[in-house]
Amino acid sequence: MFKGKSILFVALTTILIVAATIHLFSGQISIAYSDFLNAIWDFDPNDTEQIIVREIRLPRMVAGLIAGSGLAVSGMLMQTLFNNPLAGPYVLGINSGSSLFVALSMLSGFTFFQTNLGIAGAALTGAFISGIVILFFSYHLRSAVSLLLVGLMLGGFTSSIVSILEMQSGAQELKSFTLWSMGSLQHVVNSQLPFILTLFSIATLLVVFLIKPLNAMILGEKAAENLGINLNRFRLICIGVTSIYAGLITAFCGPIAFVGLAVPNLTRIILKTQNHGKLIFANIIIGSIFLLIVDSGIQLMEPIIALPLNAVTSLIGAPFIIYIVIKKMR
Amino acid sequence: MIEFEKVSIGYDRILYQIEDLKLNASQIYVLIGRNGSGKSTLLSSITGEIKPIKGKILIENQEVSVLSQKDKSQKISIVLPKNDSIPYLNVRDYIALGRYPYTNTLGKLTEVDQEVIETSIVQVGIEKIADKYTSIISDGERQLAAIARALAQDTPIILMDEPTAFLDYGNRIKVLKILQNLALAQKKCILLSSHDIDLCLDFNLPLLLIDQQTQKLIQLEKGTQKAKILEVGFGIS
Repeated sequence: MFKGKSILFVALTTILIVAATIHLFSGQISIAYSDFLNAIWDFDPNDTEQIIVREIRLPRMVAGLIAGSGLAVSGMLMQTLFNNPLAGPYVLGINSGSSLFVALSMLSGFTFFQTNLGIAGAALTGAFISGIVILFFSYHLRSAVSLLLVGLMLGGFTSSIVSILEMQSGAQELKSFTLWSMGSLQHVVNSQLPFILTLFSIATLLVVFLIKPLNAMILGEKAAENLGINLNRFRLICIGVTSIYAGLITAFCGPIAFVGLAVPNLTRIILKTQNHGKLIFANIIIGSIFLLIVDSGIQLMEPIIALPLNAVTSLIGAPFIIYIVIKKMR
Repeated sequence: MIEFEKVSIGYDRILYQIEDLKLNASQIYVLIGRNGSGKSTLLSSITGEIKPIKGKILIENQEVSVLSQKDKSQKISIVLPKNDSIPYLNVRDYIALGRYPYTNTLGKLTEVDQEVIETSIVQVGIEKIADKYTSIISDGERQLAAIARALAQDTPIILMDEPTAFLDYGNRIKVLKILQNLALAQKKCILLSSHDIDLCLDFNLPLLLIDQQTQKLIQLEKGTQKAKILEVGFGIS
């Protein structure tokens, strides 16, 4: 499967391991190497350093892996599905749909909707609904740019509703919602990981079955259908998988912009292939590397300035996308 | 190979009728008619994408509407007029996509698949560009690659929507020659739509013309004069 690219994959995996290690060691409190090993193999619940490793550093790293890879893969799915290198869960309004539903549940005042399950359920529902809406519009819009505009309008529409909701809400809810909307990997706690990992694995397993239709889709819908691809089923699974990724990540890490848009483009440039089997694998690795490095940087800067994750990914992602537009689309 | 039984072709209104028509193996048929007269609609009706308003279309004695998508993908391949250049996709991998109707859920190519792909490349004569990206080859070469992909799909029927539209004169002749050889050598039934009346007359290909007066699809007898074609099909006298 990785014929001819194995050196590249070994290199990428090595970079990922290095990035993950650096990420584990980042943070205000410096922790000895031995504490890391002990925290995993010989945990002492009275050792503060070990508790930090177990309760803070590890879940944050896992959050980085999941958010980075999930956003990158869902961006790739959207780009191939809509045959548009500028598509992504964020620009198409799938994240904003998710955000709207999270806002509704966080600011609604109902206790159920403020539990983890409530927020996750709301985020997934919101993502799926906006995915279906975008899918509906895609049937009627031939031009790739029109679809992006509709996605941006959906984003604008939902964020206005969110603003209205914010005006109505109490100070405490408003504060927690605003913090959430800046995006962060540090709110994920260990008790949530089984739930997050299960959903993430389901989505990733489904993606494997999309490899073949994805490869056919690069020829366009008509040709893909002629090759025996069931378009409606493919589209629905694509939107479903993206909703799981985007909803899950939005619920637990907040909105994170540009990863889903920039990483798949970067991956294609690095790999120089259209084989989605390789692309999926590389997106998982490169997406993780990207988010872990960004988050390590945020932690490094913390004593000087507190940086919201969503802002940093945009600061890096936006210029890269402009470069892609100038280079490829003009 | 393809049979029409009192078919009314159209999308929401009838464009034209096909009384009784049989398209056979080892032959290229050329569909001609004005812009918007319904050439593409006929091709889409054969693939089952558009249902005919009335009548039956049979593929190897089975009605199109009862064939599963998988069956259809193994019986009919299509070549579109313009094949976009796809970055980072080389010609061989592009042709390999033609094997998808036969591969497993993960799209894994077997040795048989690999052989068919190589044979298709040789048959169309594009060995030299097989390892190049589709984004750096010419329009003519891309069209040949598309034909090779249709060959790799190994279907008895190939439908082509204006396959020569974006090609220069030399490439048009080249494509038609290759198609003519393939139709004979592999007993394929090839139906293509075209505006190249002169070229098709030169190749002495059977012409199917959409008659504007009677709104019927008629098969022209060999040796029909160009003036007659222009009058019946295009209203030019």
